[in-house]
Amino acid sequence: MKNEGKRYALAIDSRKCINCKACVVACRAENHVPLGHSRNWINEEHRGSWPKLFASFEPEQCHHCANPSCVRVCPTGASYQRADGIVMINEDECIGCRYCIVACPYGARFFREDTGVVEKCTLCAHRVDRGEAPACVETCPSKARIFGDLFDENGPLQQVLSTREHRVSKPQTGNSPQIYYLF
Amino acid sequence: MSEATIPRRAFFHIAAAGAVATQIGCGRRPNTAGQRYEVATACESCPNKCSVIAVVEGGMIRKLNPNPRNPKSRGMLCARGNAGILQAYDPNRLKQPMIREGKRGEGKWRNASWEEAFDYAAGKLAAIKEKYGPQGVVWSSTESFAEIFFKNLGLAYGTPNIVRHPTLCLASVNLAYSMTFGTVPSFDLQNANYVIMAGANRFESFITPDTMDLIESTMNRKARLICLDPRFTVTAAKADTWFPIKPGTDMAFILAMLHVIIGEGRYDKAFLDTYSTGFDKLQAHVIQYTPEWAEKQTEIPASEIVRIAREFSDAAPRAVFYAGRRSSWYQNDFQMRRAQAILNAVVGNWDKQGGMVPNGKMPLGELLFLPWDDPQAPRVDELDKNFPLAAKGDGAYLKLRENVLAGTPYPVKGWMISKQDPFNALPDQSKTLRMMEQMDFIGVIDIQMSDTAWYADVVFPESTYLERTDPIEMLPGIWPAVVMRQQVIKPLHNTKPCLDIVQGLAKRLNLSQYFDYTIEQWNEAAAKEMPIEMPLEYLKKHGVYASPDPPRYGATLQPEHRFVTKSGKIELFSERLQEAGHDPLPVYHAPEQPPAGRFRLVLGRKAFFTHANNTTNPWLLDFQKENRLWMHPQSAKPTGIADGDLVEVTSSVGSVRLRVKVAEEIRPDCVHMLHGFGKRSPWLKRAGEGGADAAILETAWDRVSGNAALHETFVQVRKVGVPS
Repeated sequence: MKNEGKRYALAIDSRKCINCKACVVACRAENHVPLGHSRNWINEEHRGSWPKLFASFEPEQCHHCANPSCVRVCPTGASYQRADGIVMINEDECIGCRYCIVACPYGARFFREDTGVVEKCTLCAHRVDRGEAPACVETCPSKARIFGDLFDENGPLQQVLSTREHRVSKPQTGNSPQIYYLF
Repeated sequence: MSEATIPRRAFFHIAAAGAVATQIGCGRRPNTAGQRYEVATACESCPNKCSVIAVVEGGMIRKLNPNPRNPKSRGMLCARGNAGILQAYDPNRLKQPMIREGKRGEGKWRNASWEEAFDYAAGKLAAIKEKYGPQGVVWSSTESFAEIFFKNLGLAYGTPNIVRHPTLCLASVNLAYSMTFGTVPSFDLQNANYVIMAGANRFESFITPDTMDLIESTMNRKARLICLDPRFTVTAAKADTWFPIKPGTDMAFILAMLHVIIGEGRYDKAFLDTYSTGFDKLQAHVIQYTPEWAEKQTEIPASEIVRIAREFSDAAPRAVFYAGRRSSWYQNDFQMRRAQAILNAVVGNWDKQGGMVPNGKMPLGELLFLPWDDPQAPRVDELDKNFPLAAKGDGAYLKLRENVLAGTPYPVKGWMISKQDPFNALPDQSKTLRMMEQMDFIGVIDIQMSDTAWYADVVFPESTYLERTDPIEMLPGIWPAVVMRQQVIKPLHNTKPCLDIVQGLAKRLNLSQYFDYTIEQWNEAAAKEMPIEMPLEYLKKHGVYASPDPPRYGATLQPEHRFVTKSGKIELFSERLQEAGHDPLPVYHAPEQPPAGRFRLVLGRKAFFTHANNTTNPWLLDFQKENRLWMHPQSAKPTGIADGDLVEVTSSVGSVRLRVKVAEEIRPDCVHMLHGFGKRSPWLKRAGEGGADAAILETAWDRVSGNAALHETFVQVRKVGVPS
């Protein structure tokens, strides 16, 4: 199988995110995502009152879970996971039942009215297979996203995960999400 | 104006191109048949010239990727840069020359051939020259690679009235640093340990390499960031300390920092002794500016000013007070930027790693062409009299408009405009409209029917940056580079690059001898001085050439180095300013405050949009569909204004309507709206809703540089509707 022995994942340093949306537009261009939908987005949090104010930004997309609930509920096998961990949708097998949209704890999937199938972040698998980084990772002006192979001990991802504290979002779901948010 | 005023043929073209746009924007499986190729080129979504690699499949641009070879932009491409594809595939862009048929602004156009458009425009320009002299035409443009061709046409035509963008932007900062150091330096944010940003919103308003460097420094290297801004911006949110400073009082903060640093002996004495002049006078001058005094002006506690001053000088030379980009704020803007420059000088951060660094350059050759005669007439903005220290070639935009409207010192009846939208870029639209109305001829070169183009007589459609090759350009900086913008796809419509338009006009104005070259010849001549083999081939392949050597610091730190100032030293005290009748050291004057019931209008930018551009780009507009008036709850509540209400914002020159965003993130004495909304041109009807700041901004300028002063307007806010 393709990319056996690899496990792709993302680390995100939200402190570096400035909510500039370059990732959202890069994804839209790369993956022809129609307006009204996005495969990635930035969660904003605004707190406090004048003049004690706080704002934080957290990029999010499909977490490419190790134990993906979307794949489990898919009745046709259209949702599947590659050996390298990337969760994909085979558009030809998707019947648009949208069970997976409900099953995803992160709201990462959406239904496209024009095509009748469900869509989400593929970690730009087509780019990754060419040896390139996902479009959102490559374009990010503040380099808030770090993409890599978890099995590569000396790779950029392991380097940052072994030296920085991190967490995952909603670990209680049992999905074992693979976006690591750095503290 | 309604859609019905657009000629039927124009509609047909819009509809046809709409199909293309759908394919690019929304198609599930784009046509990927055909060759896939990549072109290394340069972005033009903003003036920053980041390097990009365009991926073309099946004849269409599929994606724009960052080009990591550029030492400035490295691996970044912002939202605008990514959305640049839609510039080429915009169904509402200009697709062929057009000549106005009805009244100005009525929207009656007829499509014309290039020959017809050239003949018509050249005829008008020749007639104005005959009647009023070449000084009867203003030639205005904004920075771009090809601006030189357009500007040269104006010079060859013989007008002294070239007016460029700096006095709507950063003329005051450029002049202030030039008067102090003899040059405008870069700020080494990549290596700085302490950065003060006053009003510069580098994490939100403008995403450039400085943004990358600063986020890396602050988040990974724990550099300290201090932010002064009347709004809680993204930069404020990321800063270690944010002070919601009272608008217009930045100079008080800086002078008090100087008071502390000099008073406590925290300045770099050895550096100042060797490289500067006027320290004694500065020392005596800042005694009056105590932190306690500054607290009353700025509303920043004195103890905090002392703390910042100490931390700043402790971190020096890796400490910078960042100059800012758009410095068109107040009538004393030049003097405030001078105070910054002096503060930077005093801690000795000049030409040091993590400090302020004079820009490195790389050699470029020049194509030789016939020289034209210098213009006979003086400038209509009387720059020598009004702003004798200002950059001669850029003009002073607002003073120019005043004099054109007054008809002094002579009549100006023609206006050639390239890549600029004065209707939105200049404060007070009613004045700009009057200036346009009194013209015998207005010609506009643009890629879209801007509000200015809408009021023009002839519109020349330029090819977008993805469809043309531009002159190669050297980007000065700490790490200089040469970049090239080259054609990615053939023009989709009947458009031309700037040089072809200039040549078409030059031929009919009998000025062809000055433009007898091709873009290839121009670029060959420019590239031949580059220190590599086959330089043009290299640029065509890689899009950018950067020196293989990393930046070096300290080249000017030789005792015999002569700064390009009168004294040859860094001028803390400026005799030239004194001779010109200005304060030789920055003197603080408290800004006028809004009377009860009025608010100061403070402007800002969001990096989805560049000035008044990109607000028709659907991928960007998706993030911000309208501009709202930011109002603090304390200010909104007493007048019964709630979030989402429609309000009328009125100044002494006009009013606009837009909806309110009730926000904690702004000082109660200010309101804020984003620039670039509220367009008039029906061709821009996809643009976001809201109001145009230019309709209510009053005319004011910095006294020394002539830079527009855009934060001097007080407005009233009246509720006119509730959210629907």
